[in-house]
Amino acid sequence: MTSKQRVLASVSHQEPDRLAVDFGGCFITGVHCSVVESLRDHFGLEKRPVKIAEPYQMLGLVEDDLKDVMGIDVESIFPNRTIFGFVNENWKEYHTWWGQTVLVSEHFQVEDREDGTYMYPQGDRSAPPSGHMPKTGYFFDTIVRQEEYDEDDLKVEENLEEFGPMTAEEEAYWHAEAERVRGTDRAVITHLNGTCLGDIALVPAPFLKYPKGVRGIEDWYMILASDPEFVMELFDRQTEIALANMEKLNAIAGDVIDIVVVCGTDFGTQESTFCSVDNLREIWMPRYQRINNWIHENTQWKTFKHSCGAIEPLIPTFIECGFDILNPVQCSAKGMEAPGLKEKYGDQITFWGGGVNTQQTLPFGTPGEVKAEVLERARTFGPGGGFVMNAIHNVQALTPTENIVAMLDAINEYNTAGV
Amino acid sequence: MSVMQETDLTTLTAAIMAGKRKDAKRITQEALDATLSPQAILDALKVGMDDVGRRFKANEIFVPEVLVAARAMKTAMELLEPVLVASGIQPEFKVVIGTVEGDLHDIGKNLVSMMLKGANFEVIDLGTNVGTQAFIDAVKESGAQLVGLSALLTTTMPAMKETVEAMREQGLDVKVMVGGAPITDAFATEIGADGFSPDAASAVDLARELVGAAA
Repeated sequence: MTSKQRVLASVSHQEPDRLAVDFGGCFITGVHCSVVESLRDHFGLEKRPVKIAEPYQMLGLVEDDLKDVMGIDVESIFPNRTIFGFVNENWKEYHTWWGQTVLVSEHFQVEDREDGTYMYPQGDRSAPPSGHMPKTGYFFDTIVRQEEYDEDDLKVEENLEEFGPMTAEEEAYWHAEAERVRGTDRAVITHLNGTCLGDIALVPAPFLKYPKGVRGIEDWYMILASDPEFVMELFDRQTEIALANMEKLNAIAGDVIDIVVVCGTDFGTQESTFCSVDNLREIWMPRYQRINNWIHENTQWKTFKHSCGAIEPLIPTFIECGFDILNPVQCSAKGMEAPGLKEKYGDQITFWGGGVNTQQTLPFGTPGEVKAEVLERARTFGPGGGFVMNAIHNVQALTPTENIVAMLDAINEYNTAGV
Repeated sequence: MSVMQETDLTTLTAAIMAGKRKDAKRITQEALDATLSPQAILDALKVGMDDVGRRFKANEIFVPEVLVAARAMKTAMELLEPVLVASGIQPEFKVVIGTVEGDLHDIGKNLVSMMLKGANFEVIDLGTNVGTQAFIDAVKESGAQLVGLSALLTTTMPAMKETVEAMREQGLDVKVMVGGAPITDAFATEIGADGFSPDAASAVDLARELVGAAA
């Protein structure tokens, strides 16, 4: 099997020749740049600075040579602008506080202050900064720039600034990226633009210079409770715009794309969900269904839904929404134990993730503990397909290399020995 | 219109439970105008927040509903607080709370802070990215009986450990509770914290237990 066949078989619930594997495919299955460098060193790959694919989480680009040695089966098309609103182009060196030299876009414009590093949106130093990396932090967090708003007079347009028809720049980008990946034997994954419906990482709009509307994190959650009609109208408008853009995308690059990340909106905490099943069905489901139905009627793309946390009660609704793939499958959260998920939903949705706990085992466990956990997950999720091996969310900074190697060893052992 | 009676304060409790900020403000003002006992008004708010906490723990309501309830409570407290101060009614216990150094995440910390205020703790919220010394200084200045430490990131869990150790080295007579996504009971024990809470409502129970407060 080629990598592409392997991924496509597994997401079609057929067991591939070996586990399909993703590290670095998208911004929620990525690897911190410091870890990418240590892996490159470990495998004796050419010494060169790691490119920052996504500056917000400081995710490193996993290049082909590293993909080959790690057995990675996916190829990425990243959005044409980063979460800070700039294009990744004309790379320059940047020296991180932890002593790593990385390559960043020329539009990566930061300023060091007493309490850390500040990032400017769209590379514009005249605008207020929209990201902050504390002095001992390994990635940026959004600076919420919430202006006063009248709760009784919310304007949908103000929360729609970042949603609009595909620009000529984006069209050109998609044409170029489609050419780049056409013919690859890896499965191509990309993020759709504007289909997530209230991803809390995007609500504060770190890519905008002067965001208006409801942009605070707590403000947003409160609006969900106090004014769901506003939220639904906003989501309807976002869906309309996204559907038109998906048509364009399909015309340009539809044939090269295999998997689309529709949505990174988190619905879970460690212990519970962020909303009731009824709320999910009323506020989100009709819009997700429009998006996913369009995709399934017009393309061969598989639809990918990300949500951290204890979301087991919501999974049947996600399936009804038309999502083919669930990520990151946070098995350590309440009610998310792997065997139960596989048994209840394994034939209806693909688990993309769940391979190892990045909050405990991978960063803090011993290599033996990592190996045991990965093997257990592979044996649980692997049989019958419907599984793409990935850690539970991005591999974080300070993760020991030997633990990642132990994870790869476990994948190999499973592939050799089977269940 | 008849003058408000203490028995009418159930409407204030209901406004908190439903997260109706404007109702909570109006009823609190009416109660103050009717010179009802500030302690009775405070109790009505507390009963509302206790109910919110109970339903949150039971997964009957979720973070958005807790946030609007806490906001309603805060709006009412803005009116009530000066009257409480004038009457010499003070929270019995003080808690210093913050997200540890290197970590800018505060939703969980804010939820805990709001719920503790709802349970009538005086909360000294130091915000996010709080260094060890700032925690120590705040405890010394306020005489707080309790410290709440939050961390969302695996990379800032060591800072939580350092903060607990530094407070112990200083010999501060203070209980420490910890929470946040990657934090577990085992980690809390390992770093010498006095307790761990998995959610904001349970944090109130834990706080009461640690300071020996009545529920």
